[in-house]
Amino acid sequence: MEIKILKQDDLHIRFLISGIEIPVANALRRIMIAEVPSMIIDDVIILENSSPMKDEILSHRLGLLPLKTDLDSYVLREDCACNSELGCSKCSVTLTLEAEATNTARSVYSREMKSENPDVTPVSDDIPLLKLARGQRIRLEAYAKLGRGIEHAKWQPVSGCAYKYAAAIQIDPKKCTLCKKCVDICTKHLLKMENNKIILTEPLDCRLCEECEEACTVGAIQAKPLKDTFIFDVESNGSLSPERLVLEANKILKEKAEEFITQISELKEGEEE
Amino acid sequence: MMVPIRCFTCGKLIGDKWEEFAKRVKNGEQPGKVLDDIGITRYCCRRMILSNVEVIDELLKYYELEEKK
Ligand SMILES: [Zn+2]
Repeated sequence: MEIKILKQDDLHIRFLISGIEIPVANALRRIMIAEVPSMIIDDVIILENSSPMKDEILSHRLGLLPLKTDLDSYVLREDCACNSELGCSKCSVTLTLEAEATNTARSVYSREMKSENPDVTPVSDDIPLLKLARGQRIRLEAYAKLGRGIEHAKWQPVSGCAYKYAAAIQIDPKKCTLCKKCVDICTKHLLKMENNKIILTEPLDCRLCEECEEACTVGAIQAKPLKDTFIFDVESNGSLSPERLVLEANKILKEKAEEFITQISELKEGEEE
Repeated sequence: MMVPIRCFTCGKLIGDKWEEFAKRVKNGEQPGKVLDDIGITRYCCRRMILSNVEVIDELLKYYELEEKK
């Protein structure tokens, strides 16, 4: 197995992974979407709300607020020993919001939410939460918990996670008549003629539309996917760094595989007895 | 009522980008160019911003009128 990072910034990672099968690539993708935990507000206690926004709409909005997640110091709610409804200091973080519009109507932003843990804060300071008219007040307590996308989509730490096959375009120089039909039809303009030869300039950008194969009347060009090479595109919503997301997904996949092996071997032992 | 915090389809955070978009479009920039510039590339997220109407601004006027009485 070989991994090459093609592009990376604080929210995106694009990497080429070769030497794995489709089910493994898909398992990775699905774990990133549904099983990597992130921290999201799950319970809201509204103490005072005179704004035009109703309590239910406001708490729904708060539930969609991505928070920076500290995976190492918190545990999932179902793994926590506290068993209490609002959680303990090991499985939940309390955020409070207190705001008032004194002189004019104003927006209340995510930066005004105070967290008991400075590492767990909204990922952006400028998210408008609600608006207050003059004299209106809002006071609330919110409890953020670790959760997984499989339970509710708000816990999904990725906002885009997909893979595609890497392309292998084969051109048979014996059959090719250099008619340039494929060069003209390529939807991403990736084919080029150089020194009396058709070449694919950026194989990673090819989306395998097979237009070139169709346009070629002599059947010299073949657009086929590489069966064991994938290009992954992961976009985090800010709660975890993209590389942490991929690593965490790997860890979960490994744990699942180990669990599967133990269960199978236990079954086997039962049969032998 | 207000700009949604995340895209309905993909879950990308878009709430914090609305105010910049609204300001720049008001100043005469092309909406499509502004969206490209602030990094909203997928069409699911672009329609969230493009089709948003801040109805809450209209509601606030009534609350302020009521208070004046
Ligand atoms: Zn979207």
